[in-house]
Amino acid sequence: MARANSGRKIMIVDDESESAILRAVRRRLASEGWEALVIQPAPGHSVGEEFEAAALWSIEEERPDAVLLDVRFGEHRDDQFRGLNILSEIVEKWPKLPILMFTQYTQGPDRETAVQGSLQWDAPVDFIDKLASPDEVILRLRRLIGTSPESIPVGEQILVDVSARLVYIVNGEASAPALDIQGMKFEIFRELAATWYRSPGELVAFSRLERYSDGEDPRASLRVRIREIKDAIGKAMNTHFGPSELILNVRDQGYRLVPPKS
Amino acid sequence: MTRLLTPTKFIGGVIALGGLVCIILTPFVGKSFFDFLWGLEPLTYIGGILLIAGLGAAAAAYAGAEWIRRRSEPESNNQRPEHSWSETTLQYFQLFDHDLGRPLRRIAGKERELRAVLQAAPGEMDDGVKDLLDEIERQTPNFRLMMTNIQVLIELESPETDNQLQPVEPVEVIRRIADRYTSVASEADKEISWWSEPAELGLVYANSNAIEHIVTNLVDNAVRFADTHVEVKLTNNPSHFFIRVWDDGPGIGRQYVQHLFDRGWTPEVVRREEKSSSGLGLFIARSLARRSGGDLTVESDDSPDGEHHTAFLLSLPSNLEAQHNGVR
Repeated sequence: MARANSGRKIMIVDDESESAILRAVRRRLASEGWEALVIQPAPGHSVGEEFEAAALWSIEEERPDAVLLDVRFGEHRDDQFRGLNILSEIVEKWPKLPILMFTQYTQGPDRETAVQGSLQWDAPVDFIDKLASPDEVILRLRRLIGTSPESIPVGEQILVDVSARLVYIVNGEASAPALDIQGMKFEIFRELAATWYRSPGELVAFSRLERYSDGEDPRASLRVRIREIKDAIGKAMNTHFGPSELILNVRDQGYRLVPPKS
Repeated sequence: MTRLLTPTKFIGGVIALGGLVCIILTPFVGKSFFDFLWGLEPLTYIGGILLIAGLGAAAAAYAGAEWIRRRSEPESNNQRPEHSWSETTLQYFQLFDHDLGRPLRRIAGKERELRAVLQAAPGEMDDGVKDLLDEIERQTPNFRLMMTNIQVLIELESPETDNQLQPVEPVEVIRRIADRYTSVASEADKEISWWSEPAELGLVYANSNAIEHIVTNLVDNAVRFADTHVEVKLTNNPSHFFIRVWDDGPGIGRQYVQHLFDRGWTPEVVRREEKSSSGLGLFIARSLARRSGGDLTVESDDSPDGEHHTAFLLSLPSNLEAQHNGVR
């Protein structure tokens, strides 16, 4: 069974990488199974062009999956937007490398300056507030990197193994597949899990799920399959999921996954 | 005098930070030294007083520095009062925002460290401590939103503000905001669901900062007042796109709805109680919507049965013709 997202390398380029806020982000990256590589100026050294070159060299060497880059490196006027210089260099050299800019200027004129001055319009670059929760940082990185993982963890007890087309119920170190979820039922659950992984609040519209249904009334057929999925996972977890648990029907618009609380 | 102001700003910041640390430490220190509830009070009061005194000193130092700077400026600068006032005020608040951002990031970081340490420690985390940490985490985005509100208000009232159109993907804006508030809502046992109809709504030409600011304000309110659910729905027609933010909260009385978008109005104004918010959020949101050629309206039901809810509808022009007129 594949570990979710194994092997993702995230490079953090920040002069405050030992700050409490970045330690929390690094801890969250580790819990996601991602490796964090930190590039920061040597203590007592300036964060000038030398550091800029060192950061670019490290990207060349390490080839990370994404870069978490600070905008502001110190209070000196030349360093206030040093991150934007590094950003434009990265975009020029590796236009497909996802970059999440870590800044307090997610809105307003400074962001506009950054966007206009540094970016090609289709570059995979996004801005996030330094005060954002580590969970939000992970969500943005997942979307920037773009590809779905081979296995999607849904909370702590359910794992969707996309390559083996199986849903596992995890109990401590042990895991067992819920064998009743196969074929169309697996596809429905995978679609719900992949959407939840990308954005936990996003619901999957009926129209997207009805292609995995058949019969004269695809909506009714979908409803039956959803109930069967909830029953199968509930049975494997020795529990029963009510109408507002695991898979929610949102005001006749579609379904949304809600991972069970452990 | 000017030489004195810089250390005053710094000392004020340190005192305010000390006050916040006292408030954060209250349950831990109180529990160690006192066995009864009122034992917590002295440190809370000291923390509160230090916080207010520190922020007061820092703000006074800023105002003093600004006053001295203006006095020392040549007379000619006073000949364009409106523009220079707006520009100076905006720069002043950006600086203020930046300087307050740093201690705030430290507090947020320390809170996350503390949570990690407590989670790693054997045994269950005390519920009171957990509530306190959750409260600090919840107040952080509130604080940022307040600072941004003030900056947007200054920009909005500047005589030279223009409304720049850019290509924007509204689905992506909603997704970002939902991500930010999903964890905040889930800590309070509430749910956020969002969707777009059609699923691929595509690009519109609008001011992305304005959309993000308006919807952030609406979702922030909805999460605060919802009982259990918040829904954000994005739809469109050939000329406009619409964002509906719905919550199943207790609803707003008819007598209050007409004042909801007034500048500085909060329900406490009517009850002559202390205000719990600035009352600027919805005023700014509607002003931004109207300046962008759209509107923001509200519909609410405060009946005591299960149907009570509040829904805000933001409508903005898609400006699809801007694509052909050479907007970047």
